[in-house]
Amino acid sequence: MIPSAPKTIWSAKVNGQDVQAIAPSNAILLDVLRDEVGMLGVKRGCDLGTCGCCTVLIDGEPRLSCLCLAGQVEGQEITTVEGLAQGAHLAPIQTCFATHGGSQCGFCTPGFLMSAEALLNENEQPSRDEIACAIEGNLCRCTGYQQIVDSIEAAAEIKRGDAPAPTPASDPHPNPHPEGPDEPSMPPGHAR
Amino acid sequence: MNHRCHLVMQGDLMAGGYRQQPGASSAETRKDGKRVAGKQKFPPPGSGGSRPVMAPRDLDSIPESVGGKEPQPAGSHIHDRYRTGTEVGKPRALVDSHAKVTGQAWYGDDVRLPNEIIGKILRSPHHYAKIKSIDTSKVEALPGVLAVATGADAPNTFGVLPVTKDEHAMAVEKVRHVGDLVACVAAVDEATAMEALNLFEIEWEVLEPVFDPRKGLEDQDEPIHWRGKYHVGTTNVQKRVFQEFGDRSLVDDPTASSHGKWRMEGVHHGFTEPHAVVAHWDPNGRLQLYTPQQVPHYAHRALSTVLEVPMHQINVIRTFVGGGFGGKSDPFPHEMCAAILSRKAGRPVRINFTREEVYWINRGRHPSYIEVKMTADEEARISGFDIDALIDGGGFASFGHVTSYYNGVLATAPYELGSFHYTGARVWTNKPASGAMRGHGAVNTRCAVEVGLDEMAEQMQVDPIDLRLANLLPPHSRTISGFRITSNGMREALERVREGSDWDSKFRQMPLGKGIGIGCGFFISGSGLPIHWDPNRFPHATVHMQIDMDGGVTVHTGAADIGQGSTTAVAQVVSEVLALPIEMIHVRSHESDTSPVDLGSYSSRVTFMNANAAIRAALDIREKLLNAAWEMLGYHPDVLVLNDRRIYYKHDPAVGVSYLEALHKAQEDKGSLISSGAYRSPPMGGVHKGAAAGLAPAYSFSAYVAEVDVDVETGLVACTNVWAAHDCGKALNPLAVEGQIIGSCHMGLGQVLSEKMVYGRTGHLQNPNLLEYKIPSIHEMPHVTPIIVESSDPEGPFGAKEAGEGPLLPILPAVVNAVYDAIGVRIRDLPLTPDVVWKAITAKCKALDGIDETELPSPRLVHSPLQPTLVARGQEHKERDRKRQRSEDTSAYVNGVLFGFDPDRPLEDQVEGWKSAVEPVPEQLAELGLAGKAWLKKEQRQMGGDQ
Ligand code: FES
Ligand code: FES
Repeated sequence: MIPSAPKTIWSAKVNGQDVQAIAPSNAILLDVLRDEVGMLGVKRGCDLGTCGCCTVLIDGEPRLSCLCLAGQVEGQEITTVEGLAQGAHLAPIQTCFATHGGSQCGFCTPGFLMSAEALLNENEQPSRDEIACAIEGNLCRCTGYQQIVDSIEAAAEIKRGDAPAPTPASDPHPNPHPEGPDEPSMPPGHAR
Repeated sequence: MNHRCHLVMQGDLMAGGYRQQPGASSAETRKDGKRVAGKQKFPPPGSGGSRPVMAPRDLDSIPESVGGKEPQPAGSHIHDRYRTGTEVGKPRALVDSHAKVTGQAWYGDDVRLPNEIIGKILRSPHHYAKIKSIDTSKVEALPGVLAVATGADAPNTFGVLPVTKDEHAMAVEKVRHVGDLVACVAAVDEATAMEALNLFEIEWEVLEPVFDPRKGLEDQDEPIHWRGKYHVGTTNVQKRVFQEFGDRSLVDDPTASSHGKWRMEGVHHGFTEPHAVVAHWDPNGRLQLYTPQQVPHYAHRALSTVLEVPMHQINVIRTFVGGGFGGKSDPFPHEMCAAILSRKAGRPVRINFTREEVYWINRGRHPSYIEVKMTADEEARISGFDIDALIDGGGFASFGHVTSYYNGVLATAPYELGSFHYTGARVWTNKPASGAMRGHGAVNTRCAVEVGLDEMAEQMQVDPIDLRLANLLPPHSRTISGFRITSNGMREALERVREGSDWDSKFRQMPLGKGIGIGCGFFISGSGLPIHWDPNRFPHATVHMQIDMDGGVTVHTGAADIGQGSTTAVAQVVSEVLALPIEMIHVRSHESDTSPVDLGSYSSRVTFMNANAAIRAALDIREKLLNAAWEMLGYHPDVLVLNDRRIYYKHDPAVGVSYLEALHKAQEDKGSLISSGAYRSPPMGGVHKGAAAGLAPAYSFSAYVAEVDVDVETGLVACTNVWAAHDCGKALNPLAVEGQIIGSCHMGLGQVLSEKMVYGRTGHLQNPNLLEYKIPSIHEMPHVTPIIVESSDPEGPFGAKEAGEGPLLPILPAVVNAVYDAIGVRIRDLPLTPDVVWKAITAKCKALDGIDETELPSPRLVHSPLQPTLVARGQEHKERDRKRQRSEDTSAYVNGVLFGFDPDRPLEDQVEGWKSAVEPVPEQLAELGLAGKAWLKKEQRQMGGDQ
């Protein structure tokens, strides 16, 4: 085995949880997040800072985790795509990417979600141009961006409260004790 | 039978026990308004009884022909009577979108198995060289290295097409391009594996490489591959094609003509997910291979050949695919490498590609030299297309055999032609292999052809849209090469972009630097012949379906969802037929162990073929449910209606049973309901050599108008607006169709404006990364107005055709034509990067006595007398097309009718010169174009050599 750089204990707050990982002192944040912390939602598209798939939020700022040493963000707050939903409740930006076609193959999606989330946290009512500037560092080969911008606009509306939050299938049922999905009203074969 | 009649007569009596009170759906809310996480919301069921609710039928989504309100201008469809208004035609989120937005979708690199080790590939530093020896002793000695493999470990060849298997897992005798696979190693961690790559000791004999495809046409000392008796001379020609149809004398004395020589650079798919693979031999000795594949079945076949293991001992698991576009459809050597390493090491092996490696494996669009001559006669009919395409295949055959045909044959529509002449050649060069990419083979020639039409329209002083409208093949016709056109929405597409873009007040009327242009497209919706011809008439797609007591529907299909939404399409059609909410349909498509064989996601076949198979499987279940309801209610299935999990009597909705009641009845003594549906395209096409290439059960049509701004001082072209009309037959999911249209625009725009694989003077690929390979970012994207045209294909699922590839075609010529409209300069070098455009502008200024570029004259149009003739002909044809589309006119129509021929007699009998040839006659040899030169050589068998 090739000797690696000395290992250190790396700690940070990832998606609201304090985590510690043992990683070489020269480890790249992307590698630590994926391989040590287990956040496989952070995607590696190029490793060169050119695709934006690896975008995460560091203290609320979008950053490319492939261009970031883990040591640089020691102790800081990191949000990945896994940290967007509140339990089973998807964040508006996530729902809107689904309902507005913002995600096709989905590989670029985590990166776009993080860039968009950072924008919406700062700007309640972004124009299409502002949205474009916020996601200019993210590459998408499937969607042609238009439906991504639509998705972000729709999410902004929900966040502002101008539009109702959609209730997609995975949203919780209003009834805490729902009956089975479709029980027969009488035993089969009753008519005979 | 008698028994059943009796039941019908007794209907009302029998149904007495089933009188229920279906009401309107009501939104249920908890009193405190709170929600509880983890419980699935489910639409209220229509079981009657204690919860008497059923969603009202959505008449707006049920076709007119069966009593609904959905308009059907293109006529009725055989699947109309299975429409329940549940899903088809509604914009829907992809069924797997929640996995994608939560980061839970698992792509190739997200598969982590316990005890896994890391594989790395040693790649060739030479363009072309013989491997004299490989010494791996030092590699093996490195602590931490667990397995090493070289070409000797896997001598069997493979390739995506059975006719051209020319790849090895790793180079066996020689390497064919920089980046070609030489050896591989697996080690405990990445650093060790990387270090190990430095320890291989290889003796090379460097050979003279060929980079220029034109050179590849000449005899070589050492051809890149050797095809034995079929080898063309000693050249690097991999495939040559000659096709000639029609009456060549029609091209004499043309009224207008265009002659263009094009140079198109190679482009790459640029999917965001780099290739990755994990291989694991389980304790029973079966291979489990995880890979993001578009075409898992061909990988499966190739793995079996290379590893010498029967197919049933391999389970290919398709992970989520982070974009494919054709670039993940070959069986790949790294998949073999991972399997070989894992077999040796006895541990799971993972191989991830770097972005650079993605470019070395390539399979992108062929760099091409294309020459198009076309002519029009005095009535502005297109008397001839003469296409010559030389395409650069790189180091391996890949899909090239097919690409060589597609470059010609897919230009035979949507126009009616007097004659068609095509010569094509694909040559091997010492570059990464070209292959299939979105719009496979059709994109480059389509661009050349559409620009040629624009030029001819200008010569004849007519509007290019009217020129097209007056020369279209109608629905239900045959092209000059014998393709069967069914539905055809070309005319509507043209009319709608004309109107949407306000064409008539912009074309040839805008100031210098602003332009508008038109382009059309024509593409296959699934290839008529499966790539692996089988004598046993296997279906093209098979879908299995299973419903257990709980009522959930599990659908098994091998179709690979690569982001285009094929899984969603399958779920939608099943949901539509059975009138079940889409949440009750679970599509399983990842594993070859559990999925029926599907040929994969290529040539835009999935929606057409797979959804057709799914409909058939669902119909089988539907019939069983209806029969059960018949038995219970006493009403014949013909008078029963399916709606929102309920089956009821048409004339009295209160009489009915719930879906689950009918299901349980149908399951008596049987258990799960199981069905299987398959699709196989009908026999079609001519008998000439190559007749199968380009055959499809249906074709898609599209027309785009693009608006551009050209900065005449810098040559920078910006596309600002696109109106994109695409005929997809029937949009099963309009949201997804629009996504495909916009995404295609993006990819095509990249090719026409900025993307190219740059090979330097030394033949080295200089931009294998996303920084220098320029994929348009959001700032380069125009505003796209997607326009969906629905021509309702008679054989498509609910009328649907493809929407994934065809929409890419028209954007290239639309932009090139718009640039001409803006600055009056025709450029035939793609991409139109600023340097190319600026050079063309300067040349033009020089030719105009050195005027300043800001004084360039903008092209203007004054209609000639031909214009009203064309408009009148277009109008006449519009009525003809409408009747044919709606089957009010079912007479035969073949290409040639416009030129006065009788469609009911063979054309050969009517004109002496009418021919169809697939090889040049000796007199023609001298006049063949660049690619045609490939026909100057003889094949080895004709030369007496058969080595
Ligand atoms: S992986 Fe970080 S930008 Fe591409
Ligand atoms: S959805 Fe595939 S790259 Fe963006």
